[in-house]
Amino acid sequence: MDTLLIEKHVKYIQSLGENTDDLMYHMTAHLRLNAIYWGLTALCIMGRPDALVKEDVIEFVMSCWDDDEGAFGAHPGHDAHILPTLSAIQILTIYDALDRADTKRIVTWVAARQNPTGSFSGDQWGETDTRFAYIAVQALELLGRLDAIDKDKAVAHINRCKNFDGGFGATEGAESHAGQIFVCTAALAILDRLEDIDQPTLAWWLAERQLPNGGLNGRPEKLEDVCYSFWVLSALSILHKLKWIDSEALVKFILSAQDPDGGGVADRPGDMVDVFHTCFGICGLSLLGYPGVHEINPIYCLPADVTRKKGLHMDYEVLGKDET
Amino acid sequence: MSHGVKRTREAADVLAARREKERSKLQAYLELTDDVVARKRAAVFTQECFDLTTKLLGLNPELSSVWNYRRLILLNALFPNLSPEGTFSLLQSELNFTTGALKQYPKTYWIWNHRRWCLAKVPPGPEGAPVEKSWKRQVWARELFIVERMLDADARNFHAWNYRRYVLASDPGLRSPEDELAYTKKKIEASFSNFSAWHQRSKVYSALWEEGVSEDEVRQVKDAEFELVQQALYTDPGDQSAWLYHRWLIGNGDDTAVLKREIANIEELLAIEPDSKWCLESLVHYKRLLAARSQPDEAAQLSDLKKECNTMLSKLQTIDPKRKARYQELVL
Repeated sequence: MDTLLIEKHVKYIQSLGENTDDLMYHMTAHLRLNAIYWGLTALCIMGRPDALVKEDVIEFVMSCWDDDEGAFGAHPGHDAHILPTLSAIQILTIYDALDRADTKRIVTWVAARQNPTGSFSGDQWGETDTRFAYIAVQALELLGRLDAIDKDKAVAHINRCKNFDGGFGATEGAESHAGQIFVCTAALAILDRLEDIDQPTLAWWLAERQLPNGGLNGRPEKLEDVCYSFWVLSALSILHKLKWIDSEALVKFILSAQDPDGGGVADRPGDMVDVFHTCFGICGLSLLGYPGVHEINPIYCLPADVTRKKGLHMDYEVLGKDET
Repeated sequence: MSHGVKRTREAADVLAARREKERSKLQAYLELTDDVVARKRAAVFTQECFDLTTKLLGLNPELSSVWNYRRLILLNALFPNLSPEGTFSLLQSELNFTTGALKQYPKTYWIWNHRRWCLAKVPPGPEGAPVEKSWKRQVWARELFIVERMLDADARNFHAWNYRRYVLASDPGLRSPEDELAYTKKKIEASFSNFSAWHQRSKVYSALWEEGVSEDEVRQVKDAEFELVQQALYTDPGDQSAWLYHRWLIGNGDDTAVLKREIANIEELLAIEPDSKWCLESLVHYKRLLAARSQPDEAAQLSDLKKECNTMLSKLQTIDPKRKARYQELVL
């Protein structure tokens, strides 16, 4: 497999909603809204933004609205949580349909997730994680209301989650992890505080994620996984250090994790595919300048044309093209 | 999201047969889900509803809304009728329920969250009882036991490490920093590549040193730590974990005597392992730190350091070509 099987992946994503007689389909209801965002983003990057029926998708998004809370759940009938709330906002942003949602209530709900320490909870039950800080910051920026939170406190909390290796963990004291590094780096990019990062150390740590087989792991001495292609690459792209890894070897690794028959991308070659790895594999290829795919903006993990139109942060690196 | 599940291609007839077999299971699952969602929407809080959430979460612990509903039932219907003893006993059975779930799904956030919520609800216990006999101490000691079993099963599970830090912070009397250093050392000695344990060790020391320790004491501790790292480096010079910890110990290299000693030690290892990428990579970093600290009258030394770094950087480009561009950028 030396090419991206775009047609197969488009069909795979289109078919995801058709498996309603499969138990697995229902067992993953808690990820439905996220899954639609992953699928739609992958389609946009493959140049096929119209491959899903826009009006159906928007209608489904709106059916996930939790009117008691004033934010989105992952599935109709599920409680509001910050994770699906961002997915909903991202999908509506891609479709230029934010006017369909009660954005005022969303802003209030998201801002209320900030704790006195500056950290963010995922919902009213209180779990905190730097992922939620990023989600809050991105969601509010997409809604043009970053002023609704205490930005300095948010930055201070992210900085308290920083480790000696330049990376970030989920909470204060937690080990650096590529996924948490993506969210913290991107949040600091949106908050215009990238200077708070120890950039040479972090970029070094990120470059050391690449393994002899070309794939990237998420922590030292762990196995490679396609999704880290995006977590690690997005942070390197924001730091303008994509060249610090071997892009050719990584492209090869991502392509080898495709399912040549049914479409989709897996965590590793030969494994079951899913829409999460399909999205992040293809987004990784986009940052690596893979020919024929559209540009992803790694700060928001949204198509670059969408973020350009909205006048959002665009300072990042994509290989094979003049720096943006 | 599926991780590490091998791909199999089901022929159309096999797929149809599997779905036929699953049909009743699927039907039952959907009926149960609809039932629970409807009861939740109607704000029905009864023991019967509680039992239904047990059943549903047993089938799928990823349903955060169902965990939320379960907590609402506990708060609104079950706790109000219970004595502190009764509440404690119910919470213990909740904790057992999540222990079972974690065995099957050790990386599901919602299970860990529910556990934390339960612990926050544990009543203080009989008044006047000594700390060791208090309910809080009982539960936290058990939490520590359970999370250590989980780290025995998967020494890198970051959920478990995060949870462990939370347990220790919740009951500081449970483990002294010395105990914690012994624990991380045990983990490190079981596997030098367990960076999670090295990381935790760096955090324990950082916290201790923040409390105000003399520079001499810090130096003595660090000397012992350098010896521990040295063992790891000699065991496998290609393992990143110990190199990272070594870098933490060196810090910004203000202690140039230690910096020079460690450079000499790594050069000894390099003599045995001339193609060790991590020896070279670390030497470049440390020599650059040393160069940055050289005095104006040490121009000759500075120029030597630069030359040595550049020679090593060009060797690194050959032995570690994946990161060639970085080494090129670092050439002075």
